[in-house]
Amino acid sequence: MDNLHSLMIVLPEVSLAALGLLLLLVGLVNRSNTTHVVSALTVLSFIITAATLISPHRLSFLMGGTAPVFAFGTMFVDDTLARFIKLLILAASALSVFLSGGYLENHKIARPEYPVLILFATLGMMLMVSASDMIALYVGLELQSLALYVLAAFQRDDAKSSESGLKYFVLGALSSGLLLYGISLLYGYAGTTDFVKLSFVFKDAAPHTIGLTIGLVFVTAALAFKVSAVPFHMWTPDVYEGAPTPVAAFFASAPKMAALVLFLRLLREPFMPLAMEWQQIVVFIAVASMLLGSFAGLAQKSVKRLMAYSSIANVGYALSALAIMNKDGLSAMLIYLAIYFVNTLGAFGVIISLRKQGQQVEAIEDFAGIAKKNPLLALAMTVFMFSLAGVPPLAGFFGKYFIFLAAVKAGMVPLAVIAVVTSVVAAFYYLRLIKVMYFDESKQIIDACPCFGVRATVTLAALYMIIFTVWPQPIIDGAIAAISGFIRG
Amino acid sequence: MTLPLDLIAVFAPLLGAIIVGLGNRALGDRAAQIITCALMLCAATASVMLFNYVALEHHVLDRMLLPWIQSGTLNVSWALHIDTLTAVMLVVVNGVSSMVHIYSVGYMSHDKSIPRFMAYLSLFSFFMLMLVTSSNLLQMFFGWEGVGVASYLLINFWFHKTSANNASIKAFLVNRVGDFGFMLGIFGCYLLFDSIQFTDIFARAPQLADTQIIFLGHNLPALTTVCLLLFVGAMGKSAQLGLHTWLPDAMEGPTPVSALIHAATMVTAGVFMVSRLSPLFEYAPSALAVVAVVGALTCIVAASIGLTQFDIKRVIAYSTMSQLGYMFFAAGVSAYSAAVFHLMTHAFFKALLFLGAGSVIHAMSGEQDMRKMGGIWKIIPKTYTLMWIGSLALAGIGIDGVFGFAGFYSKDLILESAIASGTWYGQLAYVLGLAAAFMTAFYSWRLIIMTFHGKSRADHHTLDHAHESPLVILLPLVPLALGAVFAGYCAWNWFGGEGRAVFWGHALFVVPERDTVAAAEHVDEIYKWLPLLMGVSGITLAYVFYAVKTDWPAKCASSLGAAYRAVYNKYYFDEAYDYLFVRTARKLGDFLWKRGDDGFIDRFGPDGVAGAVVRLAQRASAIETGYVYHYAFAMVIGVAVFISWFWLKG
Amino acid sequence: MTEIVFYLFATILILSAGMVVASRNPVHAVLYLVLAFFNAAGLFLLIGAEFVAFILVIVYVGAVAVLFLFVVMMLDINFVDLRSGFSRYLPIGGAVGAVLLAQLVMLGLAWKTDPQLLSVVQAAGADAVDNTRAIGRLLYTDYFYAFQVSGLVLLVAMIGAICLTLRHRKDVRRQNVDQQLSREIADVITVVKVESGKGVQL
Repeated sequence: MDNLHSLMIVLPEVSLAALGLLLLLVGLVNRSNTTHVVSALTVLSFIITAATLISPHRLSFLMGGTAPVFAFGTMFVDDTLARFIKLLILAASALSVFLSGGYLENHKIARPEYPVLILFATLGMMLMVSASDMIALYVGLELQSLALYVLAAFQRDDAKSSESGLKYFVLGALSSGLLLYGISLLYGYAGTTDFVKLSFVFKDAAPHTIGLTIGLVFVTAALAFKVSAVPFHMWTPDVYEGAPTPVAAFFASAPKMAALVLFLRLLREPFMPLAMEWQQIVVFIAVASMLLGSFAGLAQKSVKRLMAYSSIANVGYALSALAIMNKDGLSAMLIYLAIYFVNTLGAFGVIISLRKQGQQVEAIEDFAGIAKKNPLLALAMTVFMFSLAGVPPLAGFFGKYFIFLAAVKAGMVPLAVIAVVTSVVAAFYYLRLIKVMYFDESKQIIDACPCFGVRATVTLAALYMIIFTVWPQPIIDGAIAAISGFIRG
Repeated sequence: MTLPLDLIAVFAPLLGAIIVGLGNRALGDRAAQIITCALMLCAATASVMLFNYVALEHHVLDRMLLPWIQSGTLNVSWALHIDTLTAVMLVVVNGVSSMVHIYSVGYMSHDKSIPRFMAYLSLFSFFMLMLVTSSNLLQMFFGWEGVGVASYLLINFWFHKTSANNASIKAFLVNRVGDFGFMLGIFGCYLLFDSIQFTDIFARAPQLADTQIIFLGHNLPALTTVCLLLFVGAMGKSAQLGLHTWLPDAMEGPTPVSALIHAATMVTAGVFMVSRLSPLFEYAPSALAVVAVVGALTCIVAASIGLTQFDIKRVIAYSTMSQLGYMFFAAGVSAYSAAVFHLMTHAFFKALLFLGAGSVIHAMSGEQDMRKMGGIWKIIPKTYTLMWIGSLALAGIGIDGVFGFAGFYSKDLILESAIASGTWYGQLAYVLGLAAAFMTAFYSWRLIIMTFHGKSRADHHTLDHAHESPLVILLPLVPLALGAVFAGYCAWNWFGGEGRAVFWGHALFVVPERDTVAAAEHVDEIYKWLPLLMGVSGITLAYVFYAVKTDWPAKCASSLGAAYRAVYNKYYFDEAYDYLFVRTARKLGDFLWKRGDDGFIDRFGPDGVAGAVVRLAQRASAIETGYVYHYAFAMVIGVAVFISWFWLKG
Repeated sequence: MTEIVFYLFATILILSAGMVVASRNPVHAVLYLVLAFFNAAGLFLLIGAEFVAFILVIVYVGAVAVLFLFVVMMLDINFVDLRSGFSRYLPIGGAVGAVLLAQLVMLGLAWKTDPQLLSVVQAAGADAVDNTRAIGRLLYTDYFYAFQVSGLVLLVAMIGAICLTLRHRKDVRRQNVDQQLSREIADVITVVKVESGKGVQL
């Protein structure tokens, strides 16, 4: 493979990186509205990247794009799965940038580095989902994580924000340590970090080569940290609560998807021969996440912490889909992600737009009575909450439904039962929020932020929740195609 | 028949109810009255024309409206089935209803919610029409429940009165007991006949006469069981002994309501149902015996209570119950045409009496206690005349072969059929019916004398205001009075005479050897004269008691002592039910609620689970200490546990 | 001979690593860390990885550890307070640590490699170039991608560090090069005639 070929394969990533560097320079122009300009350009960069990603020229260059193609040796892979999830990641990042504008202004932290960091985090995620080598995996992950640490602490004069950034960083470093240790064990056994070669080595290995299993445990634990699965989830509520709200929204959407798909690729490609082992771990953390996410969420008073637990529970559902491991389960997981990220961004959008006396609204009880003052916003939030709770016919219902269906089909009935039970428990806190909005008396005056970006995002997300009900085909087809291209034969 | 008369007759009242019910205040009182009355009159006219077409020109109308339920062998449609029986009912219902509508314009003129009242009345009429035009049990049940609801709404029309609330709830609950029987009867029919279409049921009834059915773990004769269950429904609606306690209380509603629902139409639904199902009941003779005995007992018990009451409307209410008893024992001895005959004549004179009583109450500024009336016949002579006509019809005064008031023909026909049946229950019914006839005459004239004659016992304030009712109240009474006078004479031929077979066609069915109406022709003369004798002596005695020796009633009451008190207190039915059912149910409810629900189910069910979940949630979120080393430690433990797991598994 | 040196370095490495955690004085801890780095570099030298060994000394000892030292000396951290919970967490923490350690020791004892791995390692060693050159070749060919992305990682780290810490304080005087270069004599110097005994009035 020549270099041109490789470049063509990584063209979207390269262009995104180049645009990011350019934006860094643009940000240096010292004007009052620089952040706005850079934000807009960031979104534009995402659009350009997405266009490059699926441009027919590039795909035809890659022999139609159905079979996976590798770049830089076997470091980087471009296949249907990667393309599908990259589009979702780009969309999620773009919406997150949209969501941020008003918040940053309001908290006087509007600096051009913010969109640039989101851009580099996005780049990291794109590299992660395309990684086909342990080292590529690690550098992609680090690129993403480092940007996220900084974003979490971005409101640097706020003690909570700094604290959350630091916590995330320290624990993230620990998880990176675990990851590297696991990778070194695997390398120690196999002598390679290449996914394809690893899968061949593992196929021949004795079924219970303990060194491999332990390497697998370390790697899995590190990834479980990234997707915030129990028991590696502890950072999530604190970080969501402390970080600026749009950053929390971003955390809940794009990085979750990237890490889950990375997880998927890792388990399904190099570790497939060890499926018996990792399935136990994944089922365990999936069940634990669903249980903890739905039960602990009940006791929350802060809406951001609530969303953190909600995201833990939702990761649990996605991991259940992952544990099913067959095509049904994996495409159900992709569909789930495609719904969930919009859903959670929309919900965060509503949280961001509510202010009391200029301050962000944090407590659930502050939502009291907003239905009277902002009926449309309350309606949108109702749609999001119902969807998260999995109430038919909203999109969230389909997301869960496909997973439950796949689990039952694969004979994993206990898993499906736990998933259903926990989603019933979790429905309580979603519905409670609705109840508070509509039936409780408001104690103080809550305003809605007039920012265009937030409103647009909330509206789009709510429409998506509803439109998916009547026209889910593009997403479902896309997910199925992505998985069929990924699992060949 | 060029016009869809059947549709007009049935749906005009519904149209009125919808327009006025939805328009309510926007429409205004006057418009509401005009619309409902006009539509009711249309319906009444249409039913008279239908009567001519169906009953006199011998057609049967079947009109399919909409398919309703199609599930397996269950196939039910909304349909109108109009034969002679239905046509008679249509005339009665629409006729009385239109008169009551017009009467209400005057009677309710001071009320604040006239449109609501008119809408309810029309709605009731519609449900009643659905009931009588049904071609299957389910649609009949629909109408049955519909009139129940309308009755509830109308009894409780003055919903600010606690007594009206209680009465309406009582009426509804007691009817539920009957309806439960009716429902079981429908299920039984479906079980037996695999259909609830009348035509299917009637076609197969003869074959299934000896079938057994398992009900409540016993082997029972199928048809008898089904018929008895259906009859329980009829008992509830028609206030037969046992399920009668709601009817007197229902007098809490406005008087036009009492006249329409609780005298002329709804309470006769049970009689109509038994007659409609005559092809079924005819093959269940034991069930018929029960019907006859219950009817006869109701007849005498209600009449005896009527002797002692002082509330003018309650007297008429017990009278209604007693007359319904007549109708039922007529049906019980297979004299269905006699039952329907009495149903029709009774509708005229009882509506007349109720509306007359309403006129009296209107004149007396709302006073209903007869002890506070008297001597007002000069003030309200027209009402007085009308009440006389109604009472004469009720007491069944007339001379055989010459002329009689309406009740004379129908009541005598019933009594003669009873004795002619030659069965023990027929004879029992005759004896009790005769006694009841005496009592009927007595309490009717007791009512007239106490209300209109003697010295006025009202305070002068009321008396000063007493006045004859306006024309709009009196006018509707005229057609009813005409009916009370001539209906029996004119219709005799169709119900009891030679024209009977042709008139009814296949609407009623009687096993030939039990054709008691035919046999009634040939009973001894003595049986024909006894009822009249009873009536006249009842009137005389009442005259003596209340006009000549006015101290006798009190003496009589005190000498009878306990017996009088029992009758005056309606044989303690209400008290017994209160003790047996109401309190027991409340105790049981209390027990289930406090011990069962709160103490057990909630504690271990919803509340318990919810409590456990909350505790679990608190514990789960308590793990979040906020210390970064705790978090790191948790991660390390996680890894250690996973590794140990794989080590231990080998 | 090599074995003796190996065990010497290894022993000191482990001991000094332990002392990093155990020593009460933070400055001592950092110094132990430096010692550990040196021994690790020695170990690398023993296996012929001199490039890594020197990088370790230059980067970690020369830059990172010295930076640590400065930070530790500038911040007034009371390590005694930090350790206050130590005894409380010692039993459970020690237990989990011991379990993990035991497992990893057992892992070391039961260690196996892929049977075909030996040939891979030998093939790598067969190419007789010095390892600085070998690493360079690999970095710019096979691992070009990882190398470039690492560059991005460092860029992000830099952006992050600046953006979290750089503050434009209003009360600090800053050098304005442009202004400095463009200034004229006339702008800054006024010639004033001073009368004796009166002083200067500006």
